[in-house]
Amino acid sequence: MPPIDCEDQELLEGFLAETTELLEKLDDDLVALEKSSGDDDLLNRIFRSIHTVKGASSFLGFDLLVKVTHKTEDVLNRLRKGELNVTPEIMDVVLEATDLVKVLVNDIKAGELQEREVDGTIAKLLPLLSESVVVQPVEAPASDVAPEPAAQADVSPGAVSEPAPKQESAPVPVAKPAAEVAPPKKSAPPPKPADGKGEDLSDNSTVRVDVKRLDDLMNQVGELVLERNRMIQINQNLQQGDINKPDFNEEFGKLTKRMNFVTSELQMQVLKMRMLPVEKVFKKFPRIVRSIARDLGKEVDLQVFGEETELDRSVVDEIGDPLIHLIRNAMDHGLETPDERVAAGKPRVGSLVLSAVHEGNQIIISIKDDGRGIDTDRVGRKAVEKGLISEEQLAAMSQRELFDLIFLPGFSTKEKASDLSGRGVGMDVVKTNIKKLNGLIEIKSERGCGSEFILRLPLTLAIIQSLLVEAEGEVYSIPLSSVLETLRVDQRQFHIIGGQEVLKLRDMVLPLVRLEKVFNIARRYERDDFCYVVVVGAADKRMGLVVTRLVGQQEVAIKSLGNYLAKIPGIAGSTILGDGCVALIVDPVGLIEVNEGSAGR
Amino acid sequence: MSNALVIAKADDSRGELIQLVSFNLDQEEYGVDVLKVREIIRMPTVTRVPNTPHYVDGVINLRGKVIPIISMRKKFGLMEVENDKQTRIMVMDVDGELMGFIVDAVSEVIRISGSEIQPSPAVVATGIDQECIAGVINQAERLLVLLDLEKMFSNDEKRLFGAM
Repeated sequence: MPPIDCEDQELLEGFLAETTELLEKLDDDLVALEKSSGDDDLLNRIFRSIHTVKGASSFLGFDLLVKVTHKTEDVLNRLRKGELNVTPEIMDVVLEATDLVKVLVNDIKAGELQEREVDGTIAKLLPLLSESVVVQPVEAPASDVAPEPAAQADVSPGAVSEPAPKQESAPVPVAKPAAEVAPPKKSAPPPKPADGKGEDLSDNSTVRVDVKRLDDLMNQVGELVLERNRMIQINQNLQQGDINKPDFNEEFGKLTKRMNFVTSELQMQVLKMRMLPVEKVFKKFPRIVRSIARDLGKEVDLQVFGEETELDRSVVDEIGDPLIHLIRNAMDHGLETPDERVAAGKPRVGSLVLSAVHEGNQIIISIKDDGRGIDTDRVGRKAVEKGLISEEQLAAMSQRELFDLIFLPGFSTKEKASDLSGRGVGMDVVKTNIKKLNGLIEIKSERGCGSEFILRLPLTLAIIQSLLVEAEGEVYSIPLSSVLETLRVDQRQFHIIGGQEVLKLRDMVLPLVRLEKVFNIARRYERDDFCYVVVVGAADKRMGLVVTRLVGQQEVAIKSLGNYLAKIPGIAGSTILGDGCVALIVDPVGLIEVNEGSAGR
Repeated sequence: MSNALVIAKADDSRGELIQLVSFNLDQEEYGVDVLKVREIIRMPTVTRVPNTPHYVDGVINLRGKVIPIISMRKKFGLMEVENDKQTRIMVMDVDGELMGFIVDAVSEVIRISGSEIQPSPAVVATGIDQECIAGVINQAERLLVLLDLEKMFSNDEKRLFGAM
């Protein structure tokens, strides 16, 4: 097919942006509709969305799109008027139609119109438009309907208050496809939803920003310009000797304060603009949950909380996949089938709670199910069977370490890989992705009561709060998010257990790592009895970093070290300090792992 | 060095003209394609990066971008010397990434024709890997070793950067 010939590129872009937005919302609404079928507002909103898409696409001449949306609209219209009741079967068909619409929109977006098979889906919609369905719920929609009733139904709509628009628009297009479709052999391959396919729709290369935010930003920039002028002025005065030293000091001090204020405001503003509500990711989940639940024959009630929580778009882009894996995992492994649930004395419908909340500089996303929980015995056995760990290792493992086994690549409790899971890849992907984001993942689980996966993610990947420390003259930056406390200790209080230095900290024995040792820093100071210990933590693991001196707390912008130096263990990146020098950012999680690795050997 | 780069004219009747930046390293003169050189700077403060190959001196802040610094002497197994006023960092584009190379001194930009480049002799006395030597340029007064930076690091070494 030829590329789209659209006179007005701007018009087309507008159409794509709007349609994409509508379609994203639509999925969510449709699934919600299934749960609360009596909600007229919701139904009306869905109807309007489809109608808008139809209108716009007919205006731009995308015939296939018009055809599909038109039929979908008709079905929705009947639902709206109460001629049809919302049933899972009907929703299946409507959802399939929306998927098809997405595929078509994607084609347009890609710039190549393709000949898509749409009749199959339309054929499934048509029976819903015939009279007979009103009385009996559809069993097998496409199979038992001849073209006749479908066509008739549209010509003579029997309902009491059938509005005019339908009569006008329906007959012509309907008659044709209906006739073609006569033998209901077309169980045309429905476009598969979920699995990232729908994601392609959301375009993140452009940003929509609230005008208010933009105005604020402009204000801040205006102030910055004023301060700059002030700075130039002060400098000039100084050069020309118009100003004496105390005055200059005072002026300059004031200027510094204002500059500081304006730039931090500015930073906040820009950061805010990069923020997206996590809803952007969450809203496609009801749909995914629904389709997985139907595939697995399970009944699931998904509850979503905190979808308005905002986080950086770079993070939003990355968490989609891990979350899908976790949800799929919870539904496949966690939740039981309805019968099993009843037998276990639980409500028939399983619950899955997805929530997001801010906590300090982090966002915490949790996925909680009330299923069977993680069977640690079985997990341990499987891991040994697959040769991932040895018997001795298993015996020495704590509950938490057993949970962590499920993240091992190649681990699966499934005997056979299914479409959904069992290849032992998913959880590994989750772990890697979360790690890439500098996040942590934590598992809480109780046999028979369910499990909870908790993700802790940084709000942004660009700027972090950090603690600057000095080890033998070299300055390193430690992300404050992983610093639990700092102590000044006498080195004589250190103990050595099996070659490992440890510190007794309250009721805990803290393994110590000397920064100068892991980073091979040449000794430059006389050995001092006193040193500082920075206690860092990842999940429930704690470790003390021994440093010479604490420099202070600073907000630092993260700079990549480039491809060549990207994978140095214990180093997460670098940043530029006030004096223009580069300081390396320590990766505490990596250090803990390195330390554990070397201790294990 | 006053940074006054002399442009040496060469006989351009044969082959296409190539411009090279020439630099010194332990008595020898080397050349790299001028298009690969982004800028030449004096030694700033270098931040050491732990657990990297010995020839990685560290990283520097190049106007807000952090780039790795490689010591050419260490890389080529030459004797180490103190940095002096002549020492320069040549910031170059290697496989799409910026990297700084410490050299003894940068002398000039010269023009040669492609035909002047001869294959390097089978044995080169310096400890330089044969791989990255693209050829030698034998002119009346001077001998220039032409380097190909893309071949500076073998694939193994590139992996090593990460795995160390």
